[in-house]
Amino acid sequence: MSLQTQAEQELAKVLVAALDLEDLEPGEINPEAPLFDPGHSESLGLDSIDALEISLAIAKHYKVQLKADDENNKAIFHSLRSLSNYINSQRA
Amino acid sequence: MQASSPLVASLPALSINAPVALIYPFVAQQTLVIHKGRAITQAEFLRDLEWIASRLPAGGFALNLCEDRYYFLLGFCALLVKGAINLLPPNRQALALTELAQDYPDCYCVFDKAQDCDLPAINLVDLLKENRAPEPGTPTLPMIPAQQVAAIAFTSGSTGKPKANAKSWGTLAATARMLGQRLSADLVMPIIVGTVPPQHMYGLETTLFMPLQAGTIMHSDKPFYPADVQQLLTQLPAPIILVTTPIHLRALVNAGLPMPAVAGIISATAPLDQALAQSAEACFSTSLWEIYGCTEAGSMATRRSTQTAEWQLLQDFQLTLDDIGAIARAPHLLEDAPIQDQLTLLDTERFLLQGRNADMINVAGKRASLANLTLQLLRVDGVKDGVIFLPPQSTQAEVRPVAMVVSDRPEKEILAALALRIDATFLPRPLRKVASLPRNETGKLTAAALHQLWSQINDQR
Repeated sequence: MSLQTQAEQELAKVLVAALDLEDLEPGEINPEAPLFDPGHSESLGLDSIDALEISLAIAKHYKVQLKADDENNKAIFHSLRSLSNYINSQRA
Repeated sequence: MQASSPLVASLPALSINAPVALIYPFVAQQTLVIHKGRAITQAEFLRDLEWIASRLPAGGFALNLCEDRYYFLLGFCALLVKGAINLLPPNRQALALTELAQDYPDCYCVFDKAQDCDLPAINLVDLLKENRAPEPGTPTLPMIPAQQVAAIAFTSGSTGKPKANAKSWGTLAATARMLGQRLSADLVMPIIVGTVPPQHMYGLETTLFMPLQAGTIMHSDKPFYPADVQQLLTQLPAPIILVTTPIHLRALVNAGLPMPAVAGIISATAPLDQALAQSAEACFSTSLWEIYGCTEAGSMATRRSTQTAEWQLLQDFQLTLDDIGAIARAPHLLEDAPIQDQLTLLDTERFLLQGRNADMINVAGKRASLANLTLQLLRVDGVKDGVIFLPPQSTQAEVRPVAMVVSDRPEKEILAALALRIDATFLPRPLRKVASLPRNETGKLTAAALHQLWSQINDQR
């Protein structure tokens, strides 16, 4: 597992708080593991309702609005790392 | 959305044995669907429909797995005019689809995007791309016998096998006309925008059948994030009706985005908190209506949630109470529909919802039986005993289930195996391992015993 960057650490905290994932330490999220694939052993196994919660938390914390019509939506939401990179690109 | 207008109020009542036109009112050059930014007239739709229908096998059954609402509509109606039956699966887990198809000979899939399903499949998008000669004149409007079975909607039964609910064409058409009369009668051709998929009863009746049978226009998009909803609504001409769920409404209201005014909001799947209903009405400067329904009866009542807790039955519905519970009857239903929830009748037209059926849970429009979820858990290799249940103090209307399991396998492995069998929405959160379950002398698990052990193991952490 690769290490979380500082931005990823911050985002991991936002996600864990938003989703009420009480069993999970933010630092335990593998930044490259898929967030949504429940068949993957390191995945968080999230679903579309979580995606809505995440979008709210991100709007609040980073003032960035996620959109699904973006062709890259799946790629953006793939992992903690891809999501963090996307948020950074939108804030810049 | 309150007053009734001459246009829809005068819709004829449907006789159960008469043929019913596929589109009503039929005006060939009127827009029926807005699909990927293009307005599709009723005539254009009928031409696409004729083509698709000519390319599908005759009769039988097909799983309609189309995700795009227009392609779903085409697949649905093409099967209907061929006399075939649309199977609407409870979820898209590959295993669940294969198991379901076993009961339906020669069952195939119609789809519009790659599907993880090992049945024979027909891609409607490919069929539409094929060369076809332009056809002059107005296409023929299909007439469908009201009693013909149009779809079988599956809900997860408590026995582990999905329960089949046959829906006749006449039942679905009549429901849509009654909803139109109650919710959109004073609007001129409103555009229906849904955040819900068309595969479940609520989305089917509102986003598919209200355009076919109640003079509204379908928008094929399914906007997801609040910013998507805002963008789409801003682009469309008025009037618009937004069809959504409590989960989506909460996100829309809390997103901090200015939302355009709409002509109405419809919410269903779970009772809406009154404060949220008020915020939603303020956010979209509109009136919000909730629909009460169940798979057996379809939509059967509505209420203006900011004004009353009482549900008002749709026209012609009758509700009676007997020893087992409430039963709904209506001329358009093939048989009486038992209601699983606990209701109190106020008079012949109004009732209060007292409690939901303890076994059924409903999250974002997806329904599941806790007994069935538990059965699926017990089928996972290495699970010696286990149970999926709602945690104590689950005051939220749409709460996720939790699980306790006796097993030597790690939690993550059990969850990964379970994910192949049940929808991700119902994966227990969390799933905890225990030495044994608190079964009583007869082997039963009471809610009290489960909740006690659950609090105990959570306190220890």
